[in-house]
Amino acid sequence: MKSKIFFIVTALLLGTVSCDHLLEFEPGDVILAEDAIRSADDLQRLLVSNYDVLANLYGGRVQIVNELRGPNFGAPDNSLDFTAVYNRETTFFTGINAGIYTDFYYAIYRSNVVIENFSIVEDLADADRTRLEAEARFIRALCHWGAVKMYAKPFGYSLSNDHAGVPLRLAPSQDPLPRATVKEVYDQVLADLEFAAANLPDQNGPYATRMAAESYLAQVHFLMSNHEQSAGYASSVISSDLYSLDGDLDRFETDIINPETIFGIVSQPNDFRSSWFRDNLRSDNTSNPQLAFSEDFAFFMSLSGAADGRSAWYTPGPRALINRFNDKEYFNIPLSHLTLMHLIRAESLGELNQDLSTAIADLNAIRARAYGTGNNEIGSDAMAAEIIAAAREEYRKETVCEGTWIDQLLRRGASGEPIFIRGAPWDCPGVSLQFSNSETTVQGFELNEEGGCL
Amino acid sequence: MLRPSLVACLLLFLSHGLDAQKLTGIVVDSNGSPLPGASMIADGTNGQFTDAEGKYSFTLASGTHQIVCSYIGYIAQTKSVEIGSANLTLNFALADDAVLIEDVVVVGYGVQRKKEVTGSIVQVNSKQITGVQTPSFEAALQGQAAGVQVSQSSGVAGAPSLIRVRGVASVSAAGDPLYVVDGIPITQEYFLRGNSGALNNNPLAAINPNDIQSVEILKDAAATGIYGSRGANGVILITTKRGKKGTSFEFSTRTGVGTPATRPNMMDTETYLALRQEAWENDGGTGYVWLPNMTTVSDNADTRQEAYQRALLTNTDWVNETVGVGVKNAVNFGVRHGTERYNFYAGVSKDNNESYLRGNSYDRTSARVNFDWKPTPKTKVLLSSSLSRGENNRIDAAWSGGLGDAMANALPYYPVQYAEDELDANGNVTHEAGEYFLWFDEWGGTKNPVAVRELKKWKTTEDRSISNAQLIYSPIENLNLKASGGFDYLHLKEDVFNPGALSINTDLGSASRYANFVLNWNYSATADYRLELDDKQSLSFLLGSEFQRTDNYGYGLFFGQVEGPIFESDSLSLDADSVNTRRNTPSQHSFLSYFGRLNYSLNDRYFFQATARVDGSSRFGRESRYGFFPSISAGWVVSDEDWFQSKTISFLKVRSSMGLTGNAALPDYARFGTYSAADNGTTYAGDSILYPLQPENPTLRWETSRTVDVSVEMGLWSDRVTFELAGYHKYSTDVLMNVSTPASTGFTNFWDNVGTILNRGIELSVKSRNTIGALQWTTDLNVARNYNELVNIGEYTPDAVSGGTNDSRVIVGRPVGSFYLVEHSHVDPENGLPVYIDLNGEETYDYNNDIRKYVGDGLPEFIGGFTNAFKYGNWDLSALATFSVGAKIFDSSAKRQLGVVSGWNMRTEKLDRWRQPGDDALYPRLTLDETTYSLPSGFPWWNTSLFIYDASYLRLRNLTIGYNIPLDAASTLQNCRVSINATNLFTITNFPGLDPEVVRDFENAQDRNMSPNVTYLTPPQERSFTLSVSTNF
Repeated sequence: MKSKIFFIVTALLLGTVSCDHLLEFEPGDVILAEDAIRSADDLQRLLVSNYDVLANLYGGRVQIVNELRGPNFGAPDNSLDFTAVYNRETTFFTGINAGIYTDFYYAIYRSNVVIENFSIVEDLADADRTRLEAEARFIRALCHWGAVKMYAKPFGYSLSNDHAGVPLRLAPSQDPLPRATVKEVYDQVLADLEFAAANLPDQNGPYATRMAAESYLAQVHFLMSNHEQSAGYASSVISSDLYSLDGDLDRFETDIINPETIFGIVSQPNDFRSSWFRDNLRSDNTSNPQLAFSEDFAFFMSLSGAADGRSAWYTPGPRALINRFNDKEYFNIPLSHLTLMHLIRAESLGELNQDLSTAIADLNAIRARAYGTGNNEIGSDAMAAEIIAAAREEYRKETVCEGTWIDQLLRRGASGEPIFIRGAPWDCPGVSLQFSNSETTVQGFELNEEGGCL
Repeated sequence: MLRPSLVACLLLFLSHGLDAQKLTGIVVDSNGSPLPGASMIADGTNGQFTDAEGKYSFTLASGTHQIVCSYIGYIAQTKSVEIGSANLTLNFALADDAVLIEDVVVVGYGVQRKKEVTGSIVQVNSKQITGVQTPSFEAALQGQAAGVQVSQSSGVAGAPSLIRVRGVASVSAAGDPLYVVDGIPITQEYFLRGNSGALNNNPLAAINPNDIQSVEILKDAAATGIYGSRGANGVILITTKRGKKGTSFEFSTRTGVGTPATRPNMMDTETYLALRQEAWENDGGTGYVWLPNMTTVSDNADTRQEAYQRALLTNTDWVNETVGVGVKNAVNFGVRHGTERYNFYAGVSKDNNESYLRGNSYDRTSARVNFDWKPTPKTKVLLSSSLSRGENNRIDAAWSGGLGDAMANALPYYPVQYAEDELDANGNVTHEAGEYFLWFDEWGGTKNPVAVRELKKWKTTEDRSISNAQLIYSPIENLNLKASGGFDYLHLKEDVFNPGALSINTDLGSASRYANFVLNWNYSATADYRLELDDKQSLSFLLGSEFQRTDNYGYGLFFGQVEGPIFESDSLSLDADSVNTRRNTPSQHSFLSYFGRLNYSLNDRYFFQATARVDGSSRFGRESRYGFFPSISAGWVVSDEDWFQSKTISFLKVRSSMGLTGNAALPDYARFGTYSAADNGTTYAGDSILYPLQPENPTLRWETSRTVDVSVEMGLWSDRVTFELAGYHKYSTDVLMNVSTPASTGFTNFWDNVGTILNRGIELSVKSRNTIGALQWTTDLNVARNYNELVNIGEYTPDAVSGGTNDSRVIVGRPVGSFYLVEHSHVDPENGLPVYIDLNGEETYDYNNDIRKYVGDGLPEFIGGFTNAFKYGNWDLSALATFSVGAKIFDSSAKRQLGVVSGWNMRTEKLDRWRQPGDDALYPRLTLDETTYSLPSGFPWWNTSLFIYDASYLRLRNLTIGYNIPLDAASTLQNCRVSINATNLFTITNFPGLDPEVVRDFENAQDRNMSPNVTYLTPPQERSFTLSVSTNF
């Protein structure tokens, strides 16, 4: 009897011993990190996810926020986040700046994961490895550069650019990092883009190419006032003959990659990536869209009159409604395009006072499209200053809603011009967006000064 | 789990003597109800049970006899009777065991004599639970147990209460106690639907309070240690009713009404417009102010004036439009039946509970069967099963709408409906008379709480079944082998239909269905043995193992462009083309546990206990999967010592315990580094993508609490007054935190064992039978003080962990969930601007997030309950007052209602504003421009300590007057009681807002821990009046 009881007790109590497998559950519908990257295809898909993040950033969000920092847009209708950006009073509670910042570093992290994991993939050809690294570094550069432009004082703000930039992430890590200097960030951006330019293919579908990297090198050098390099890289892109100026003024096209597009965001019928434009800028989408042009921009546009084809992009009035994206449910978004290259080259050559005929040709090509061939051309004897002024005028018009005009103003401010943006000096603190509040969760991170622009 | 319904055995020995006579009588309870199954023992050996009518009958020889009458839950009585030559009648009326120390209590995996208990356990009986009219049983625990803080749910039907046992020892992991129903740790997910509509689901709402026999609250390590990894925040054991010998029925019904305990004081049109105009003029505006949804700031003066005049013609009281009188009614029926071989309890219940929020109700239908069978003398089978359905007719509340809108964006000049046709410039009708007036709030949402309530169809249905089966085999005396299996099934389904009429842009609506399933299996095996070493010493052993697995899955369906709700017709095929389906990521977790308990008793006055439990959890990796949670404790009944001679102190016991408990209530897969599924269909430019979701933390482990407890129990004057005084010190380490990590890491949050938390406190319970006899008056008082401090959070800053949107943060040296805001000083009498205090204590006009600091916390210094019960004849009266002292409340919505003048209506307190130099006002000069108060543009959220208030209160929680109708001896009824119950009759508080006792909707468990006493448009509790009738037969 005792042995029977002992057996029963033992069976009852130990029945579940050695059942450690009962505690093994793995999450469904996801892949464990250790299983996620096994093949070259996995790396490729991880890389594509970076473009996906770029699309989330540049599907209108970054462009709109940057326009709100500048003089082209008027006061938002009632969006609190837009208003905070417009008034240059973002805090780390403001959602939109935190979201953009976070997305930049999503892409940077993933790029670093791609770069760090070549060794664990067995079927990776050398050429693919080089391309993957080049694309990853291209995206890392775009995001570091995008972040430093929005969250730090511009290049040139301090003599040696040792003012605070943004964290420079070159490897995947959960360790907190302080802000690198702007010089360090720009140096790394250039290094990444140069590596990309040297190793990217000429053709790569909707993804980064050698010319895309060079076009960004032109833009980065332009903001650094390295006019020789900016003109050189712009010329390289223009002379590649891979791109051509569109005959009409619409670069934001549906289901077509505009021939000017060097690098951009792709929308598809079942995958709209341009929704921020549609939802906030289209005057035909709602009778009272969140955003409209500023009086200043409307006045600026009115100076050239109806002869300028771009005047159709707005409707004059107390709120100058934006028409540039009307009638489009979705469209592709060029981020780096040939018009930009012509404009950068023109202004850079003007600054260098070299090869002005090329600069004039660049500008007249843009003006011919806007005003009609032969109209409003710059004379062949135009001086450098006139060319620079014309290039800036065309730049502001051509890139309105593309979110880059603020960078030009800050560049010029840092170069010593007396730039005022909506009544405040270019270097007032709030022009720089505040960081995400999560960046302050570890002691020691330096936040931006807030406000001071009203 | 066993709760013996009867403890005595029937032994019948006839005493010697030739002149035997009959001694008969009836045993009743304090209400006069017969007690079937009471134990009657004559002269220590001659025993029997009372029959179904509470009657007994002895045949005794002439002479003096001692008759002992006892019954679980009642104070035993011994009477001496002289038997002569005639039959005698001797009746017993047993009093409740409110102060009884010889009773048994349910402990983990068994029961113990209360005298032997060495841990801190509070028992709440069924009468205490059903005596307070609450829709969910846990709310009835308020004020019943020292150190158990129960904050009542808001006025939304089906909303959960918040229970904290001896403070909060967790930050991101759930801080609620473990709930165990008849031995089964049940599913207690509060966030199956997040805070949809500003409501967290209440996983306890399905439990019928009328099915509950008792609730034991385990507080210290000695009591909770047997639950090891899940005992750190206390354990609440719920024991349901079981059958007993004989047959009896119970029936009760009640009906009542509920209204808000307090109402918001919102401005009328004239006042709102006047203050808005004043703000406009303060800001330099001329002419009439622009009005939201009528004009804009850029409209010309004439347009603004016309709109202003037109607005004055409408004055809608949106509070009245959203608040009414809720009607409640309930019916309960139960039957108990028992024989020597089997017994059962069966109960059914229907409870319809409308809240005072119009259109809102929670209806519960439930049934339970508990069946006990003894097929052989050595074998017992216990089966328990409950089935319930909770139907919640939903409305938007708080931030989501309804009364929340009435306190926020519903301006009084908005009409409910168009009074007449509205025409456009061309004379076309744009809105017909009678059509609901819709407006946009500042987030672009379409609003009108009446239209939404009337047109939106929204219903949540919860089906729940908790069942278990136990097989108990006792092969030899004192050895019990038990195997049990339990299954807890929860299906929560939410159906929503938003008609096109609520949209300004489309004529068609959208319908959604969200379904969650939680399946919870539990298996355990235990062996317990009691060994009597000699007549002075005994040992009790318990060994066991347990396995629990929980599966959680669900789906969502979204129909765009549909005309009607889908839950009225479950056919999905008609609109299948337009449906988007989302399958919730399934989630599983399991626990595998081994545990043991050893009790040693010496001289029936020295008691020692040791428990140990090893828990393994799937939530942790192999290296930290198992945790070991031991405890030791001892008790000494001093009053049983031979040398202890006191006529005053009738009982004195000291006890102490120390041990480890844990908490593993974190998301199932927090330790894994994960990537999106390769085939989840997400693409860019037509190419599939792969991306990381969360970072890995393979070292995640249990958070662990070390608890030391010392207490003294004392009974005075034959236990007419008893005290229990306890002190404890709980030090929690490796506290799990879902910390916000620097975004530049590529992730935004990360689960880690980061914190250290200290809870220490003192608890006092006093129970007193003040008067006995014709007028019986008893008093229960309990009061507790808990000190809570977040001791360490590593290298993180206060912003690393926050309580949702509630401005509560983790601040070292302060309690968990302290409020972290800019400190408001005063309003400058000269210019009317708010003055803040910076980190150096200097006054400043500059509002800046950098000067946020600790400005208070929501944890009270003292909490307690005070019950007085009176009984006279057939009448009884009971009053329960609860109190909380020292907590602060953050009236988070006041920063908009009393801050910058905006598209929100304002509370009338705002009239105390600065108007001219020299004014000493509570609120600053009115402005439409947030920058006037130095707030950032576009940020009208005036997060300052101005809206931190003292939340101390004394509340008459419950008042019940009852009458036991005298019954004829021939009546088939054993008793019949009629009572009137009122809840929340009054509250004494300095809080100027709605309700100082608040449980708002939370975003997640972390928010639930971090943000007690934050209100954001939260509906106040209700005041209810209920008429009840109950009977047993």
